[in-house]
Amino acid sequence: MRAIKGVLFTCDAAVKQILLTMNEQQSFIIEDLDDNHLVIKADDEFRVRRQLETELEKNTYSLE
Amino acid sequence: MPSAHPDNVDDKTLALIANRPHALLPFLQLQSATSLSRLYQSPSSCLSIFRLLDAVERQLTMNLLWLDSAISLSTMGAWIVQEKKKMYDEALDMLSRLHILHVQAGKLSLNATFKASLRHAITGGGTTGSFGVPAERDEKRPPMGIEGLDGYALERWETILHFMVSSGTGQNPTRPSQGVLYLLQRSGLMSNNHGSVPQITSTGFQFLLHPPHAQLWDLLLQYLHMAEERQMDLVEVLTFFFMLSTMELGKEYLTENLSQTQKAMLDDLRDYGLIWQRKASSRRFSPTRLATTLTSSSPSLPTSVGASSSQQGFIVLETNYRVYAYTDNPLQTAVLNLFVSLKYRFPNLVVGSITRDSVRRALNNGISAEQIISYLVTHAHPQMRKFNPLIPVTVQDQIRLWELEKERLKSEEGYLYTAFASQADYEFVLNYAKQLDVVLWENTAKRCFFGSIEGHSNIRNFIERRTSGAD
Repeated sequence: MRAIKGVLFTCDAAVKQILLTMNEQQSFIIEDLDDNHLVIKADDEFRVRRQLETELEKNTYSLE
Repeated sequence: MPSAHPDNVDDKTLALIANRPHALLPFLQLQSATSLSRLYQSPSSCLSIFRLLDAVERQLTMNLLWLDSAISLSTMGAWIVQEKKKMYDEALDMLSRLHILHVQAGKLSLNATFKASLRHAITGGGTTGSFGVPAERDEKRPPMGIEGLDGYALERWETILHFMVSSGTGQNPTRPSQGVLYLLQRSGLMSNNHGSVPQITSTGFQFLLHPPHAQLWDLLLQYLHMAEERQMDLVEVLTFFFMLSTMELGKEYLTENLSQTQKAMLDDLRDYGLIWQRKASSRRFSPTRLATTLTSSSPSLPTSVGASSSQQGFIVLETNYRVYAYTDNPLQTAVLNLFVSLKYRFPNLVVGSITRDSVRRALNNGISAEQIISYLVTHAHPQMRKFNPLIPVTVQDQIRLWELEKERLKSEEGYLYTAFASQADYEFVLNYAKQLDVVLWENTAKRCFFGSIEGHSNIRNFIERRTSGAD
């Protein structure tokens, strides 16, 4: 048996796909569990969240 | 889905808030029976606590107040409709935890001290000075009028809130006194991580959206916690709060009859705007509206923008996300600025709109969508009250959606347990983890599960015990 330290991400399928693409540039995923769950390296959480945020921001438009 | 019937949900949440026991009661429940019975020696405390109770509890207390002997549980129970038994039981529970009520051998009776003091408070008489000792009118120095007191209280209180709301925005509002700053930091409303300039925290942002009465009690509760550390006598502190709450606005009272602790409190309370004194060394003090409404349901603050507009509200919100706020109060404008992007300012009107960015900024500050909506509901302009639901559904839903959008990614730290030798092994460990309630995700086919970080040491020990046992 093995225990791997990490952070469990629970997200919708779309966000997961973005994360997978991000992973290709710089790997941080430890285990791809299922459609809505990923385990990633604990140290990368902050960076990944920031990057995801910018990625999602690209899809929104503001009137101002 | 909360947005299905937004107006109903709002009503329910509001009702829930209204039904919650007063913030002070849980604190009182934690006090020992001896301190409480010392507290109950003062008629003004008993009257104030009585006013903080909810309707059923007050009814029960009143029923028992004038009885000389204990009454059996079944007699009291006969007055209760079966469907509402739960309410009755909760009321009994609350009262006995406050040590107001005793249940002994199937008989109900009031705490003797409480009974005597409350009777005293209602019938009057006695010379305990528990309601404060009014000062003789001094012709040379007449007491501060009600208007002056209101102005003073408002100025003090808004200084505190305004300091909080504009921290970190680069403005330099008047700093409240050291004592107040310390209190704000201790209560976690402001942090002091970045050198000498305190920054508002997410609890602080939430605090700003509360009604003034709740804000005041939040701070006073924190004061009570601090009083314990400062070795002040809690009973005297509480007695003084209650004494203040039963005093008459616009009258002056003497400080002579106060205890040492209570005299020391005068300084702090002056800073919070609860009392007014001509000079720090003055032997008289006048309670302000903040103090005299501590245990009543009347509004704790007169607003500077017309006497009644705070109750009536000043915000008009349109379906196109536009916000018109009829106010000239810098504090209200600053609070609105937390979640509205402001466009124009006129002498009595501020115009802005709720945008994705402005709401996101608020969410990032730790304010929830529900808090924004309830703030808008509480401060809605009378014109808005004609509409049902009060806040346009589109706007409500959109604010909630923006909140959901922010939470697309949930993360939990922990350990992934994998590569189990056999299915039996896997199930054995998994069951143990489930008992600890630390399993966040599991998959039998892959034979792995994810446990939260709190459970890790337990699970590791469990596996070690098992492997060493098997050897």
